[in-house]
Amino acid sequence: MDGIQLEIMWSNLISIVSEQAKSLQRIAFSPIVREAGDLATALFDSEARMVAQAITGTPGHINSLAAAAWQMIEIIPPEDIYPGDVLITNDPWLSAGHFFDITLLTPIFRKGKIIGYCGSTIHHTDIGGYGVGAGARDIHEEGLWIPVMKFYERGKPNETLHKIIRRNVRTPDAIFGDLGAQTSSGKIGGERLNAMCDRYDLDDIDELSAEIIARSDKATRDAIKELPAGTYHGESQFDVPGGELITLKTALTIDTDIGEILIDFAGSSGPSSLGINVVMAYTHAYSTFAIRSILNPELPNNAGSLAPIVVSAPEKCIINAQYPSPVNARHVVGMYVPFPILKALTKIIPEKTLAEGSGAVWTIQVQGQDKNGQPFTSSMFNYSGGMGARFTKDGLSATCYPTGVSAVPIEVLEASIPIEFTCKELVPNTGGKGRQKGGDGQRIGFRVRSGEKWALNAIPSRLNTQPEGLLGGKPGAAGAFMINGVASNEARKLTMAADDEVLMITPGGGGFGKPT
Amino acid sequence: MKYALAIDIGGTFTDAVLIRSDGNSWTDKTLTTHGNLLEGFLRAAEFVLERADIAFKDVNDVVVHATTVVTNVLIERKGSLTGMIVTEGFKDVLYIRDEHRYDMFDPQIEYPEPLITRDYTWGAKERIFSDATIGAAIDEANIREIARDMVAKKIVSVAVCLLNSYCNPVHEREVRRILNEEAPNIFVTLSSDVAPQMREYLRASTTAVNAYAVPITRPYLDALTKILKDFGVHNEPLIMLSNGGIIGARIAGTYPVRMIESGPAAGALVAGHIARKYGFENLISFDMGGTTAKACMIQQGEPLVVGDFEVDRQYLFKPGSGMPVTVPSIDMIEIGAGGGSVARVDALGLLKVGPDSAGSDPGPACYNRGGEEACVTDADVILNILDPDNFLNGDMKLEAGRSEAAIQNLAGKLGLSVKETAWGIFSVVGESMAAAARAHATDRGINYRGLPLLAFGGAGPVHACYVADRLESTQVIYPPMASVLSAFGTLVTPARLDLVRGGLSFLNDLDWGSIEDTIDDMVKEGRAALMEAGIAEGSIMYEFSADMRYSGQQNEVTILLESDLRETKNSDDFRRRFEKQYEILYGICLDDMEVEIVNWRVTAHGGSTNREVSIVLTDKLASSKSLRSVFMENGEIEVPVYDRKSLASGQEIIGPVIIEERETTAFILPGWTMKVHADGSLIATKHIQGGQ
Repeated sequence: MDGIQLEIMWSNLISIVSEQAKSLQRIAFSPIVREAGDLATALFDSEARMVAQAITGTPGHINSLAAAAWQMIEIIPPEDIYPGDVLITNDPWLSAGHFFDITLLTPIFRKGKIIGYCGSTIHHTDIGGYGVGAGARDIHEEGLWIPVMKFYERGKPNETLHKIIRRNVRTPDAIFGDLGAQTSSGKIGGERLNAMCDRYDLDDIDELSAEIIARSDKATRDAIKELPAGTYHGESQFDVPGGELITLKTALTIDTDIGEILIDFAGSSGPSSLGINVVMAYTHAYSTFAIRSILNPELPNNAGSLAPIVVSAPEKCIINAQYPSPVNARHVVGMYVPFPILKALTKIIPEKTLAEGSGAVWTIQVQGQDKNGQPFTSSMFNYSGGMGARFTKDGLSATCYPTGVSAVPIEVLEASIPIEFTCKELVPNTGGKGRQKGGDGQRIGFRVRSGEKWALNAIPSRLNTQPEGLLGGKPGAAGAFMINGVASNEARKLTMAADDEVLMITPGGGGFGKPT
Repeated sequence: MKYALAIDIGGTFTDAVLIRSDGNSWTDKTLTTHGNLLEGFLRAAEFVLERADIAFKDVNDVVVHATTVVTNVLIERKGSLTGMIVTEGFKDVLYIRDEHRYDMFDPQIEYPEPLITRDYTWGAKERIFSDATIGAAIDEANIREIARDMVAKKIVSVAVCLLNSYCNPVHEREVRRILNEEAPNIFVTLSSDVAPQMREYLRASTTAVNAYAVPITRPYLDALTKILKDFGVHNEPLIMLSNGGIIGARIAGTYPVRMIESGPAAGALVAGHIARKYGFENLISFDMGGTTAKACMIQQGEPLVVGDFEVDRQYLFKPGSGMPVTVPSIDMIEIGAGGGSVARVDALGLLKVGPDSAGSDPGPACYNRGGEEACVTDADVILNILDPDNFLNGDMKLEAGRSEAAIQNLAGKLGLSVKETAWGIFSVVGESMAAAARAHATDRGINYRGLPLLAFGGAGPVHACYVADRLESTQVIYPPMASVLSAFGTLVTPARLDLVRGGLSFLNDLDWGSIEDTIDDMVKEGRAALMEAGIAEGSIMYEFSADMRYSGQQNEVTILLESDLRETKNSDDFRRRFEKQYEILYGICLDDMEVEIVNWRVTAHGGSTNREVSIVLTDKLASSKSLRSVFMENGEIEVPVYDRKSLASGQEIIGPVIIEERETTAFILPGWTMKVHADGSLIATKHIQGGQ
């Protein structure tokens, strides 16, 4: 296959999955999907190796979907899969690290044979159990666990499973609306792949997939081989809700003989009793993301471009959660995974890295009763601090890295629940000084207008530990979380009085290089 | 005899078209005069008037104007000092945006610097809630103080964007009243006038763009109106808007944000006009120029209009890297694929083309102006589709040797010959345009397969036939006047104004009284604007639509409603229409979910115009002027070359064939047959299925 033919068919594959992702995001009920793009879609070959992926939302999803597919067909093998089947799971260890994320996998048949699979993962509105937050004591308290099963069998819904899901979630209509969208997206993706095969007269995509994966694998290894061999260390510290200080340590080994990067997290903090433990798949997702976004962000994501990055962590570790650890709010720790890696890389390619920033987005959920006595539960909404400075560019203010989520507009929230925002403004000079300055954090205040008591689930982080600068850059300011002007640092749900007011100041990003 | 004049000011050229009611027409173009756009306007106008041997005072039909003036002001940041007033506590709305990183993998992304800085943003003490109730009344003394501060800081124009003003504009209007008293010379733009829709950042961004451009466009259009009047032109000029309508200069000047895409919109309008003329219900317009290609879907003879778009994209043309603007606009996809798009071999050994462009300076290697990178035009030269000695009738010599050297570089890396590599560039750019068009169509629930293509722009006719093949299309139309098509488009454009108002409510619980008030209000505004554009009250038509979604979703679908919803008041029909469209778009329908209305929309339009150009063709069949050896996938083929102006009406030529004219060259592939239509269009039809 020459470089011209391959380019044409490859971009065809990517356009198939991108269109699926776009329409899923548009029609989703789950607010975090539609506003924040917390979803992933991908196309797999007949061996369930990921060939193409849509560029969407968050690294946590897109890179863990890559590993979900082959594990799902180990449990339900291809010989037991028929046209019209749809596989489902939300097993945290098989896919994206908590129950909210449900993955669907649809086989693509051509002339009676499976030529590939369409997969999608989206963050659903609810999954029963504890709800949003880190407060569950073990994983079973966190909600409904769906093992790898058939959601549809030969085109017919698996009624037993449908009934179980419907009875075990708080918002069944929204969940089934979104599962329906995922199902239809898988079907359309399959049709479009078949249409592409018709267009180019292909019986299957095996040769195409092999070529894509081989070239991506080689390009990634070639890029790694240009780095100086050796082992480099990085460490990042941050505090989580409740005040616990977490340390993530990385030994990053660059093997220029075979073009591989080994990332080992030995020496990192042990498991937490809170639901902030991270499964290995999610740790792997954010680790490979960090490398890929620095090394070769322009290269598409697939089995080949991910293979040369190998991630390991000891068993007793907050980023290698073991059953039955609670994992619900795993993003609080997971979104910090890239930072020790970036610090290690700064020792060899500082021009491509960036300083520590606020890390995890701050997520909030509000529940209560409105003036008519009707209960309401807000969607989970989130706000960012400043991004760390880059080698030649300042950090972006109120913008998150590593995740790419957006904030829900104030007017949208005010129209959907009785909330009133009192401010949302940047806090100047919270970004660290440096040759390049860190992005500024922001001040966000709100209260509830119902006149009744209400409940607050807030997941701030970095309230004590400042984001570090790089190569002489100054640290960004730590965040602040206050209720009626008094600092608060609680991991569990809070009961609030009618006129309580919340004020949050998100952290600023670290600076890069000595200030001039 | 009636004379209608159209002037389209683009980035490089200012085009003029003059049409007489008997179908005679005159066209010309001159370089755009960026220092003072009116100079170029008048020069181009004088050129065509001279050719027709008439004077300004003889122009007794419309004068329509499309202009890039707003885009230039925005991109070059040439606007006046602009301030903003927001609700106190929310000063950084333009800096914080929606907090999104539009490219997750790339940590080096950038955003445009806001048009209005923090230093010139004031917080007003006031609060309106989402249910339109007033949380804190406006403080008149506070606003007077802000106004005086603005005067002291020499603010020329101000954007006012208060929280939740989309559902209750009283505070914004109060701010305007006070500003008018304290500082009568400051231009005031209210967000509740420009974009009364929920979502504070989008509304603020739109309002800021408008406020920034008003001090330029108002005087510009006032001056134009005055000059034309002084010259004795009968009617006041009409201005092309991004939504594919024309409107009076006074309203256009007050809302410059509505005219950003006026040139490209005019191009899409012609496509609609041509589709109707040939009886094609649906069609894809394909406009390929030097840096980008634009495609627009024509449905039922009309280009699609959407509610928002982005200006001034900062970073590699990436969506999300520009300033969002929520005003109705012709729905076009623009991709970095033009004659100047650069080809390269990437780290994976793949041949890539664009989105970066060598532009016109230095331009493709063959321009011989210092460009060394291989571009699409270089490939066209090497393949022998373009004659290097006959570019712009030979006014501009192309250096094939330079093209060859540039492509040789890539050929070495690919292990292919120079000609094979050139064909690769030709096919990769064709596929990327087809892929973009497919994605765009699919996104809108349109089946692109088999839709005819309308090819224009300098590079459009060269590549259209190949792109058509990739889209499974069987017809390509090459219209006459392709190089001034946008200017011509403004003359077949109806007067039109699109209005929108927020109105969040559940479908099963509509307050018909307040809906009627909202709709009445919009109808009144639309009627007044169209009458000002010279449309008789009786011939104004209204279309009603609503943005709807399932309750709990965040994105809406715009649904066209029955003739006048105020009379029928039929919410069941709304739901039926919504579900039908939803199913087309997303393949599912959710029976149990509640449906809600987010916005009401009214379009007022004045019906289509019937201006037409007749081109007199010879009836003597042309013969080819030469034979050229063109390299394609399977090697060299012999292709006859014709001069477009020598072709006879009704003449049929079997492809492959090359048709040359001054500004462009049409390349019709083997398997296609070209026929000359009586009106001067060339229509290529595929006669071999599955070929090429």
